[in-house]
Amino acid sequence: MNESTAYILYLLFALGGAAVYFLMPRTERNWTLVGSVFGVAAVIGFLVLLATRVVASDGSRWYFCLFAAIALLGASRVITHPRPVYSAIYFVMVVVATAALLVLQSAEFLAVALIIIYAGAILVTYLFVIMLAQQPGSPVYDRRAREPFAAVVAGFVLMGAIAGRAGDLPTPPSHATRVADVTAADGDANGSPTLLATGNTLAVGQVVMTKYVVALEIAGVLLLVSMVGAIAMSRKRVADDGWRGPPRPLGEVGKGAEPF
Amino acid sequence: MPGITEYVILGAVLFAMGLVGFLARRNLIVIFLSTELMFQGVVVAAVAFARLHQNLEGQAFALFLLVIAAVEAGLALGMVVLLFRRKGTLDAEAWSMMRG
Repeated sequence: MNESTAYILYLLFALGGAAVYFLMPRTERNWTLVGSVFGVAAVIGFLVLLATRVVASDGSRWYFCLFAAIALLGASRVITHPRPVYSAIYFVMVVVATAALLVLQSAEFLAVALIIIYAGAILVTYLFVIMLAQQPGSPVYDRRAREPFAAVVAGFVLMGAIAGRAGDLPTPPSHATRVADVTAADGDANGSPTLLATGNTLAVGQVVMTKYVVALEIAGVLLLVSMVGAIAMSRKRVADDGWRGPPRPLGEVGKGAEPF
Repeated sequence: MPGITEYVILGAVLFAMGLVGFLARRNLIVIFLSTELMFQGVVVAAVAFARLHQNLEGQAFALFLLVIAAVEAGLALGMVVLLFRRKGTLDAEAWSMMRG
């Protein structure tokens, strides 16, 4: 990455930061249109920069552009949408785009695991909690962001630091995830076709089950601990918070009920 | 095929967006959604680095990251429900008396 490219990139970051700042929910005045224009301009600039920079023979560059754009637009809506339900739905979009990007990097197992675990399990939990803890209408803490400018500046600095260090990492040959090990396991001496034949799942499984088997056990223990912790938390009797006003509306049903 | 740099930058952007959401939003649920967004950025970058080094350690790392994300979601959402039952609001500011 030469100097001018880096400055164009920083400019695009600034544009995207301004877009996020204007898209943040606020009560006084609605800047959503300005934010959308900025955001679309930033994403288009990013894609143009990418298209001029990367000289690729196959079509994966266009897939990268497409899914990167989906991920970025979805992410900007996740953090700016005033209603949490829509945030969660946009997050599903980000997860799917990320999974597609992982497929492009020949990490198929991880892509499928991401969709199953995130879109299938974690997001459903989120939606359940959103439905359980929903306040009627649109409460003020959803309509007003807290210090959006400072947050955007912090994110911009972090992004610039990482991207500045990303520099010119070399481009490795495609479809090359640990060819040597997989071929060794299969007894095929020469080459990548075996990888495509056996797949990425076998290779990842071999690494996790041999080199990181202790970490795998610890991960299992961690899951157990979190399950016990979640049950212990939800079993706890909730103290009275001193609310003596009128009966609370929707979302408060069952508040006084003692769990178990 | 796009190089590593593009993926790392994309991961950085996703991570920074998650950070912005984490800092700026006040709804507890959206705050935790923002951390999940940061996880996505890290997964993209980890897999890109795995491709850079031609091994699968980054992918194994990303797999463990999914475990941590599941643990975090379970505990955090349990806590969110608990806090909501106590105060009847999801506003993070409602708990600002814990500020030092």
